[in-house]
Amino acid sequence: MTQATPLLSLRLSVDYPDKPSVLRNLSLEMYHGETLGLIGQSGSGKSTLALAILRLLHLHRGEPRGEIWFQGRNLVDRSEREMRSVRGRELGLVLQSPLSALNPALRIDTQLEEAWRAHAEGSRDAARKTILETMSSVSLPAERSFLRRYPSQLSVGQAQRVLIALAILHRPALLIADEPTSALDVITQSEILQLFQRLNREFGIAILYISHDLLSVASLCHRIAILYDGEIVECAPPSQIFGAPQHSYTQKLVAALPRGPFLDFHNDKLGSPASIADEDECAERSAKLSPR
Amino acid sequence: MRTHRLALLAAGFLLAALPAKPQSGGELRFVLRSEPKTFDPMLVDEEASETIRYLTGGVLIRVNRKTQALEPELAVSWKVSEGGKKISFRAREGLLFSDGTPFTAEDVAFTMQKLMNPDLHSPTGDSFRSSQGPVRVTTANPRDVTIEFPAPVAGLERLFDQVAVVSSHSPKKEAAVLGPFVVAEYKSGSYVLLKRNPLYWKKDARGRRLPYLDSIRLDIQQNRDLELLRFKRNEIQLINSLDASYFENLAKEAPSAVRDIGPSLDSEQIWFNQVPSAPIPDYKKNWFRSTSFRLAISEAINRDDLCRVVFGSHARPAVGPVSPANLFWFDKSLQPHPYDPQAALRRLQQEGFRLDGHVLNDPGGHAVEFSVVTNAGNKYREQMAAMIQQDLEQIGIRLNIVTLDFPSLIERISRTFDYELCLLGLVNVDLDPSAQMSVWLSSSSNHQWNPEQKSPATSWEAEIDRLMQAQASTNDQNQRKRYFDQVQKIVWEQQPFIYLVNKNALVVISPALANTSPVVLRPQTFWNVETLYFSNQGRGASQ
Amino acid sequence: MKFLRQTAAVFLVAIFIATLFAGILAPAPYARQFRESPNALPSRIHLLGTDELGRDLFSRLLYGSRVSLLLAPAASLLATIIAALVGGVAGYVGGWIERIALAGTDLSMSLPWLFLLLTVRAVLPLNLPPAASLLITFGLLGFFGWAASARVICAGARGLRNSDFVLQAKACGCSSQRVLLQQVLPNLRPVLYAQFLISIPVFILTEANLGILGLGVSEPLPSWGGLLRGLENWSAVQANPARLAPLVLLFVVVSCFQLVMPQEDFAS
Repeated sequence: MTQATPLLSLRLSVDYPDKPSVLRNLSLEMYHGETLGLIGQSGSGKSTLALAILRLLHLHRGEPRGEIWFQGRNLVDRSEREMRSVRGRELGLVLQSPLSALNPALRIDTQLEEAWRAHAEGSRDAARKTILETMSSVSLPAERSFLRRYPSQLSVGQAQRVLIALAILHRPALLIADEPTSALDVITQSEILQLFQRLNREFGIAILYISHDLLSVASLCHRIAILYDGEIVECAPPSQIFGAPQHSYTQKLVAALPRGPFLDFHNDKLGSPASIADEDECAERSAKLSPR
Repeated sequence: MRTHRLALLAAGFLLAALPAKPQSGGELRFVLRSEPKTFDPMLVDEEASETIRYLTGGVLIRVNRKTQALEPELAVSWKVSEGGKKISFRAREGLLFSDGTPFTAEDVAFTMQKLMNPDLHSPTGDSFRSSQGPVRVTTANPRDVTIEFPAPVAGLERLFDQVAVVSSHSPKKEAAVLGPFVVAEYKSGSYVLLKRNPLYWKKDARGRRLPYLDSIRLDIQQNRDLELLRFKRNEIQLINSLDASYFENLAKEAPSAVRDIGPSLDSEQIWFNQVPSAPIPDYKKNWFRSTSFRLAISEAINRDDLCRVVFGSHARPAVGPVSPANLFWFDKSLQPHPYDPQAALRRLQQEGFRLDGHVLNDPGGHAVEFSVVTNAGNKYREQMAAMIQQDLEQIGIRLNIVTLDFPSLIERISRTFDYELCLLGLVNVDLDPSAQMSVWLSSSSNHQWNPEQKSPATSWEAEIDRLMQAQASTNDQNQRKRYFDQVQKIVWEQQPFIYLVNKNALVVISPALANTSPVVLRPQTFWNVETLYFSNQGRGASQ
Repeated sequence: MKFLRQTAAVFLVAIFIATLFAGILAPAPYARQFRESPNALPSRIHLLGTDELGRDLFSRLLYGSRVSLLLAPAASLLATIIAALVGGVAGYVGGWIERIALAGTDLSMSLPWLFLLLTVRAVLPLNLPPAASLLITFGLLGFFGWAASARVICAGARGLRNSDFVLQAKACGCSSQRVLLQQVLPNLRPVLYAQFLISIPVFILTEANLGILGLGVSEPLPSWGGLLRGLENWSAVQANPARLAPLVLLFVVVSCFQLVMPQEDFAS
């Protein structure tokens, strides 16, 4: 990849009426096809950042200041109408709790179709075709009977995949996943992580992966950004974060990790699950992508 | 021996033939349907206070509620002179007020002077005020008193039925009374307790002091359902002016207690709006001002059905403004308009109305349709309206029923005149036609079908005006009656008010009470309270 | 449960058909006064007896059902639609729009409706055909009866406004209107059904009370409300318990509505 311009480049401050300076002049850059892990403790403003990029922060009464350059446009200047055409088509969002993020009153095909109609026109069959393709790309049964289900009839893992399907229906350039696995059990969690990885590889979708869990992002991401006190204090490939953390907060984070045979990063190996790209490859890719 | 036995037998017969010996004592109970506003007999303005005044006050002349004739009470005799301007009384001697103060002509003079003082604003006094000017009261001696009014007062003597004499120098003021009972206790909102006046002057045939009852307890109770319930529980012994539906209800449980005492003075009537400026179409005004039209409507209404169905036969077809219950003033030559829809239709056809199919059209081709307004919530009026609706449908007239809340109704019939036909009742308290003066004079605001006329709109209204003035300006009762009979006749012919029914007076009296004789005139059941008593059996039951 | 639902549905359909064919089924015209037999007990001529004026109660019940069963749900539907619009938009949009809408709702609930309706009656001509008075009555009910429902619906929509799925839908690029119609309203469906159902008997009874203001269905046309007012005369009810028929029918019909309406068909 040769583009010199980043996919996403932002400099942002956010205030809430009752909580000023949640984000303080935070700056972040992401490149096409990159997977960036954003790590911060609860309440550090991770989700705020996700919503701010989608320009949906007003729903939570947040007031953003700054600029968000995405695919060569400053999103801050866009009208609501223009933003709507960006959301879902170029920018996808996956929320934390799959069951509450799916509408309990609607069958999943209705929800998918609704998301499809937001950016496409065409017959029901056209919609159905895209939906079925997407379903199989997130490893869900592409069956009518399954699509006719209500969210309450799905397992949590299935629901999270539906949610991902919703977000990638229009193959966005950037997928923002806000703690997408924190509600899941360990096994499902790793399956979903694999899914993200595959989506990243197969479709070249860049992923901003927000989490409080340093371990879960380690295997997935090219780079890891550490959010602390409203700023990015450190942004580097996992090897550097784990191997030579610079900032004192990062150091604390790494030090707090449980150590054991499966989780020894100093061996440059992850224990389980196995099929995750090794860190060297990850670091190499990151270097290649980086304009620096 | 034999003669002795015969004599004994005869004595036995005699005893049996005499009425049972009245029992003294006991407490009579019934309810007041509202809080009495005053205990001052001069300020009485509503029924509850009137009840207290009737039970405690002594008057010079009493209207016998049964015969409707005048009877001497505190006055042994009286004389009206100067065409109803002047009245002289001779007071009964040797009477004492309830506190022991002696009664003299001076008290009568004091009472009248106080009553006629304009500053007092006495409603009772107002009925004497026929014109401006001072009232002169003179006492020649302790027995005789003469009262002179500035102008003749129609039906002067009868008005004294409302004047309870108060003492001129008793320290207890109006609490010292000459009637059979005195107010002993009063708890606002709860009850009034009356005790027997031990100094009451009347005695029974055996020489025993009246009244027989020891006390009367008047519980203040607005709710009619509760009143009925309390009667069923034997907590009260009398109910006045009972509703027809309650009557039927109680008749099943206590047939010996309910009494229908025949038509009351109250009437139900309809009238058409004849106000020239009323906001209704001119062709409708023409109907309503047509005597034939009004007569036809009157003939098309089946009054017998109204009485039978709506009032369960506890009503009688009404003739006119005077109920047959008003013995003296009722014009016996008049009969209610008979129900005859064919005659009604013929009458209308003579006026150019045509019945096309099921629709009656007026000469101008307008379908005859109008609305009747009545007050909402009155079941009887709503039912009467529904029946009249069907009666009129028979002659092709469509009647729309509109029930309105009372203030809106009054607004329409007395201010905006935005109505066509109105159904309402009239409560008559007074027997004398002078009380209806304001209804019949065309200049009066109570002249409902066309009030406050500058000059009479029709010749018959002018004639009514003349007759009403004439009857008021003489004191010859028979002459007055002749004048008022003519008024009744004109009303019967012209039907400005189409009288529907006279409701019967319905009352309830506990069988425990003896000597009862309920009448139509208020206070229906206890007008003869001084001679009421509990029979032995009854007293046991009432405790 | 399914059996009950089907029975209820069959019953409702039967009643609807019966009221539609009231003209054929009724043994007598509803206004006909059998003056020789007022307050009659049930007999072969008068299945449920007669009222105070001798009108056949069964016929009146049939015609009254027609009036109330067609118009009360219609009024309720109108009220619920207005409530859904006002409450739904207010709750979903929030902010000053919600404040204004809620203030309007509060105002509308605190207004002395009695006096307003009196004014309405004053404005209406006296000579209204019964059918017109009927439409006006239920129209007014629907038009004025939305406020309480709107509050409930607004509260529901407000709860949904901050829900994740609304956020998710917006993040998918759906427009506000689409989100309101496609995401929020379906979730309010149970509330809307409930409000719709609750309003029906309320309107039937309110119509009866309006009669006192001269606004109800006017004589001689029967309605359930008018028939229920007949129950005020308790001694007549004691004499002829068949007079309770309108009350029983009201109860049964409302219960059947409850049974037939889909409860929450999206719940497992």
